[in-house]
Amino acid sequence: MLIKRSEARAGKQRLAAAYAGLSAGGLDRRAFLRQAGLTGVGLSALGAIPLTTVRPAAAGPTDFAQPITRIKNVCTHCSVGCTVTAEVQNGVWVGQEPSWDSPINRGTHCAKGASVRELVHGDRRIKYPMKLVNGQWQRMSWDAALAEIGDKLMAVRQASGPDSVFWLGSAKFSNEGAYLYRKFAAFWGTNNVDHQARICHSTTVAGVANTWGYGAQTNSYNDIRNSKTMIIMGGNPAEAHPVSLQHVLSGKEMNRANLIVIDPRFTRTAAHATEYVRIRPGTDIPIIWGLLWHIFENGWEDKEFIRQRVYGMDDVRTEVAKWNPQEVERVTGVPGAQLRKVAELFATQKPSTLIWCMGATQKTVGTANVRAYSILLLATGNVGKEGTGANIFRGHCNVQGATDFGLDVTTLPAYYGLDENAWRHWSRVWGVSYESIVARFDSPAMMTTPGIPTTRYFDAVTLPRDQVQQRDNFKAMVVFGHGGNTVTRMPEAVRGLEKLDLLVVADPHPTTFAVLANRRENTYLLPICTQFETSGSRTASNRSVQWGSQIVKPIFESKDDYEALYRLAGAIDAAAQKRNMPFRMQAEMFQGFEIKDNAPTSESILREINRGAISTGYTGQSPERLKLHMQHQDKFDLVTLRAKDDAPPEIRGDFYGLPWPCWGKPEWRHPGTHVLYNTNLHVKEGGGTFRARFGVERNGVSLLAEGSFSKGSELTDGYPEFTTAVMARLGWDAELTAEEKASIQRQGGTASWATDLSMGIIRVTMEHGVMAYGNAKARANAWNLPDPVPVHREPIYTPRTDLIAQYPTLPDRRGFRLPHLGQSVQNRSREVAPNFPIILTSGRLVEYEGGGEETRSNRWLAELQQDMFIEINPQDAAARNVRDGQWVLVQGPEMPRDKQVRVKALVTERVGAGVAWMPFHFAGWFMQEDQRGKYPQGTDPIVLGESVNAVTTYGYDPVTFMQETKVTLCQIRAA
Amino acid sequence: MKIRILALLAALFIGVAGLPAFAQGSSQAPSVADEMAIQALLRGETVHGRITIPDQRAANLIQPQGREWREFHNVTLAWVGGVAVLGMLALLVVFRVAKGRIPIEGGPSGRTIQRFNAFERVNHWMVASCFIILALSGLNLTFGRHVLLPVIGPEAFTEVSLWGKLAHNFLAFPFTLGLVFMLLLWIKDNIPNGTDIRWLKTGGGLVGNAHPDSERFNAGQKGIFWITVLGGAAVAFTGYMLVFPFFFTDIAGMQLSHMIHSIVAVLMIAVMLAHIYIGTMGMEGAVEAMTTGQVDLNWAKQHHNLWVEEELAKGRAASPPTGAKAAGAD
Amino acid sequence: MARMKFLLDSDRCIECNACVTACKNEHEVPWGINRRRVVTINDGKPGERSVSMACMHCTDAPCAAVCPVSCFYTTADAIVLHDKDLCIGCGYCFYACPFGAPQYPRIGNFGSRGKMDKCTYCAGGPQADNTGAEYIQYGANRIAEGKLPLCAEMCSTKALLAGDGEVIAQIYRERVQRRGYGAGAWGWRTAYRETVAI
Repeated sequence: MLIKRSEARAGKQRLAAAYAGLSAGGLDRRAFLRQAGLTGVGLSALGAIPLTTVRPAAAGPTDFAQPITRIKNVCTHCSVGCTVTAEVQNGVWVGQEPSWDSPINRGTHCAKGASVRELVHGDRRIKYPMKLVNGQWQRMSWDAALAEIGDKLMAVRQASGPDSVFWLGSAKFSNEGAYLYRKFAAFWGTNNVDHQARICHSTTVAGVANTWGYGAQTNSYNDIRNSKTMIIMGGNPAEAHPVSLQHVLSGKEMNRANLIVIDPRFTRTAAHATEYVRIRPGTDIPIIWGLLWHIFENGWEDKEFIRQRVYGMDDVRTEVAKWNPQEVERVTGVPGAQLRKVAELFATQKPSTLIWCMGATQKTVGTANVRAYSILLLATGNVGKEGTGANIFRGHCNVQGATDFGLDVTTLPAYYGLDENAWRHWSRVWGVSYESIVARFDSPAMMTTPGIPTTRYFDAVTLPRDQVQQRDNFKAMVVFGHGGNTVTRMPEAVRGLEKLDLLVVADPHPTTFAVLANRRENTYLLPICTQFETSGSRTASNRSVQWGSQIVKPIFESKDDYEALYRLAGAIDAAAQKRNMPFRMQAEMFQGFEIKDNAPTSESILREINRGAISTGYTGQSPERLKLHMQHQDKFDLVTLRAKDDAPPEIRGDFYGLPWPCWGKPEWRHPGTHVLYNTNLHVKEGGGTFRARFGVERNGVSLLAEGSFSKGSELTDGYPEFTTAVMARLGWDAELTAEEKASIQRQGGTASWATDLSMGIIRVTMEHGVMAYGNAKARANAWNLPDPVPVHREPIYTPRTDLIAQYPTLPDRRGFRLPHLGQSVQNRSREVAPNFPIILTSGRLVEYEGGGEETRSNRWLAELQQDMFIEINPQDAAARNVRDGQWVLVQGPEMPRDKQVRVKALVTERVGAGVAWMPFHFAGWFMQEDQRGKYPQGTDPIVLGESVNAVTTYGYDPVTFMQETKVTLCQIRAA
Repeated sequence: MKIRILALLAALFIGVAGLPAFAQGSSQAPSVADEMAIQALLRGETVHGRITIPDQRAANLIQPQGREWREFHNVTLAWVGGVAVLGMLALLVVFRVAKGRIPIEGGPSGRTIQRFNAFERVNHWMVASCFIILALSGLNLTFGRHVLLPVIGPEAFTEVSLWGKLAHNFLAFPFTLGLVFMLLLWIKDNIPNGTDIRWLKTGGGLVGNAHPDSERFNAGQKGIFWITVLGGAAVAFTGYMLVFPFFFTDIAGMQLSHMIHSIVAVLMIAVMLAHIYIGTMGMEGAVEAMTTGQVDLNWAKQHHNLWVEEELAKGRAASPPTGAKAAGAD
Repeated sequence: MARMKFLLDSDRCIECNACVTACKNEHEVPWGINRRRVVTINDGKPGERSVSMACMHCTDAPCAAVCPVSCFYTTADAIVLHDKDLCIGCGYCFYACPFGAPQYPRIGNFGSRGKMDKCTYCAGGPQADNTGAEYIQYGANRIAEGKLPLCAEMCSTKALLAGDGEVIAQIYRERVQRRGYGAGAWGWRTAYRETVAI
């Protein structure tokens, strides 16, 4: 036997070839290029392009003889915000090291985070711009592509108006990219701009913001360590946010906490629960009301908290009274004793937190679900303290930031909305006149009308023109960083895509948009780099903002979002000039930014955000402060996220990542807000109150807090949000500096705290320990919503047709410029249910993300999930003669009658009898058609499969048009 | 099915029953996750779960049977093989010393008789040469590390073993083919009958000096034949299980296959050592049967008297070809 | 010297597969070779547990014991490594290994499996430390850099521990005492003929 290395014989490489599949190591960029060339590119084509623009990807072993640079960025997958530490040599990303210093991930990753280096290997990335010519992909230069796109956009604008272009953005943008994209849509003159939050947590944002002020996670992943009881309902963070489980399980262990999982599916998270409650999909509100029934029945509610800080709880009591244990069990299938136990734990073993994800939100009753969840927290006094709260786990790495910056059809950046005041505020921030922005729109009315969301874009293409409340249907669609298989009713989407005059996909990967429809012309692919190849900030789910530094330069010919948008604006201007149209974008839109290398710098964009995003407190997070936080990550406490006493003075006392709201100017050193609405802290220290967004009284009842206020407040009762008028009444206007007064004067003499560009109102109120946004009650009754107090409504496609009469969905209505069907579809359930007896629900796999195009192209991830599958209960499988691992055909009620999707059966008790589950990350097969050949050569993802959304059906939340992906019906048979 | 056959074979050969894996989804699946508890419940059987990669072998979390296989390979096989091979060599030495070379009684007659035709001889040598290489390369895998490695060093030993492994895998095919030919050629002369009992009763002439009656093949040779054919079949069958890993069976089946393969093989090697000895240096006049195919008549009469009589009778009874003339007829 | 071990706390493992892709990333392990994998037992039922498994670097390693060409060696840290230049790809180590750790680059009919590959505990192979030759055959050598295996370092819930056996057993012991339950150190009995006494 050999012993140790003393017998080492170096350099025996003759057998190394047997180890096939390894990339040849130790190459610098140029050597890699010489050796590898580019897949699918002829040499002649290569010769035409200067080498410097065709940056190849390379990887290999670390050469220890050469210096290694360590660069920190943030994982581009989920919203946990794990720091990624890259080792870079010669401009090549050679290794990934654990990021021990990050208080969020403490060195760890999930499968996706541990494999992000592959993204800049880029084996399957788009390498250069392309367009479809007679159904074939053809290479082109950036300039030519942008010129053609600009020209076609202007043609659409000329013929159909600005609202006929749909600008679909991405939760994978940096904050700066998201902000720029929203601004781009505004300067184009439309509100038809949206992103993934629509299909992820739009209902959360709407529901939570309507309850207590802000649509975001109230606490943080780290803070869960303080909880004594956790309910995870409609979420599977073990697969969707694996690193969050580090905090959840640590909390569970340290506090011997109760971990209750309420879900139709026995998930990987449920495996670690102390109590698992299996419910029928689509019955969240009955479950919550069932819990509250026990809580009210036994007097477990927090009466003092309700008295001081909650409006309308009595209306909830009335509704809850209907949900006695018998009715709850009849509707949900959960026995009363189990719910009583859960209710007692949640209400009495405090602090308690409620964690939810898309199981709650992706429903026709999504907003109502979220409202019910929030009400449960309010009733038990579990908001605004450590260890409590609505711990809403967002989806993509920057879905929180992209939402905050208004990639949304209903609002401008920072939730200012679309009214005239909002437009005036942002016009001031942008340094342009309000009138000049109005001129960019079809009409002032369209400017204040919410646009058409991504869940319905294809309806806006295919519906008769008179059904779409704007000048014309959608004619063009520009997609930045978004998969085409993420939206329900894909057979309809195909029809819509085929009818578009122009489709532009700007992404690191072609995405399903590029292959789904049978388009032959007018389709462009622009290679965009990942966030690892550029710099910028991103906001994690807990509102912490983290700065990512560029690890390597964009590979191949890809560009970052900033450059792509800057040049696209220029191309539009050129096209307008050619058409003799006065319309221009670039000069005005980018005037405030520092332009370097044909792109605005991320720092300068963030500084503009800091000036304008006052309402959400995105003003204190200057690039300098964020970079300092990344540099000194190890100085932040794991549980409180606060920089410790040994931290450098410039960050000492800050919360990690300056979680918004971080009030005022960066130099004021507001520490950020770790726990929202926390009255135990001074507002200068990150304390807060519920926001006064909805007036001061309703039907004679005060909406302001009673006897509750944040620590050190000079006002010891509720108060409205601050305006110059309120300031004057309190005599505090005298404390404004001359400069601040002048600034307010310049903007017309009056301002609210959120539109006061000098931020003087915030400064003065904070000096008085007062929250500028007011101190109100949270609303258990949100009168402006379709259901002010949430009520149970059966899913549109329900197997329980016996419950439709008692719990019908909403009647048909209109919203977001489109018709919105409700009861007329639900009434079909009676005929549909007998033929489609299995409830189909969908969810996430840990290896993949979103539409999955990026992760299915990553060979380290793709190997782990090679087939699209459907989970079937053994009972249902036996009835259908289906064996584990066998191919089955799945059909949905809205699919063409002769079409099915072909997937593998996974026979498991994870799902209950009568329920099936499919992951939503697959695409590339469409109703048994293999579309691999339609991808540009060399860019097809390694793993393809049927999309669950080929099966999913109609159904939208009335408030946000969130799609219904969690409850529909299907039939399964052996293939 | 194949696994079951293997299990049956295993039960026959080494008395180990098939090992049912801890089935996913069986109703008695334990609701505990404690390794000790599960292992106790399984009584040392495979801990099997679910895995997402297509390689379902990887779903076996722990297979304690590896330990049994290791025990077999390193201890049982080494002892059985060592005792069988070295024991047989020792026995042959003793036999040689005691009996010396068995001579042709009365010396060679000078007249010969055809014992094996060309095809039989070629086939025999094909099988024989394959067997020798298979045996040596096989023994190398078990004993080479202790015997050859210290002598020639790791690199050379790996080279030898690598070639040995390749030879072992590919020569299996001609070896099996040869066995099939042997079976077809010689089965009719190898069906046991009463003569064999008498032959065995007298100890086959090896013990003492009697010359029991014998047909074309005596009972000893018939034994060799059947050991070769049946043992060869077992070795070949199990060998194919191993040379196509996971194609026919799982890890447990392969372990069993290997156990059967190696035990049968070392026993065959021991038997073949005796066969080689008696066919060459142990007996005067024997080797020609497989070289020229012609054996001395006296040798034949001595060892296969009934066959010689039969052959001679065949010669007499045979009618001469048409047109043939008796020698010296003109 | 330290006695390096792996310890998997199945009460923490959530089958996130970070260990698997971290391994792929660190060593550029090709498709089809799974030096580490995660198996879920009792899938979908109460008591479901996931276990990340790779070579456990056993005491008295069975692979080393049965290797016909004796290509295994044990480092001073008790890490079980092998020399691919000596390996003949016979597959014996796979028969003997209780954990299914040995991997082969090809399907392997006619014994053409190629050189066996397995977890190196991020300790490379017999060549000089951190050379290109070592990297190509065995992957990175983190141990030589004073780092621990990346799979354990990146484990999302810190379920997978790597390091000196005494130290990680103590971490696990404290964890079990604090939370009041523990499913045992998976594979320890089989690999190290001991278990963590609480």
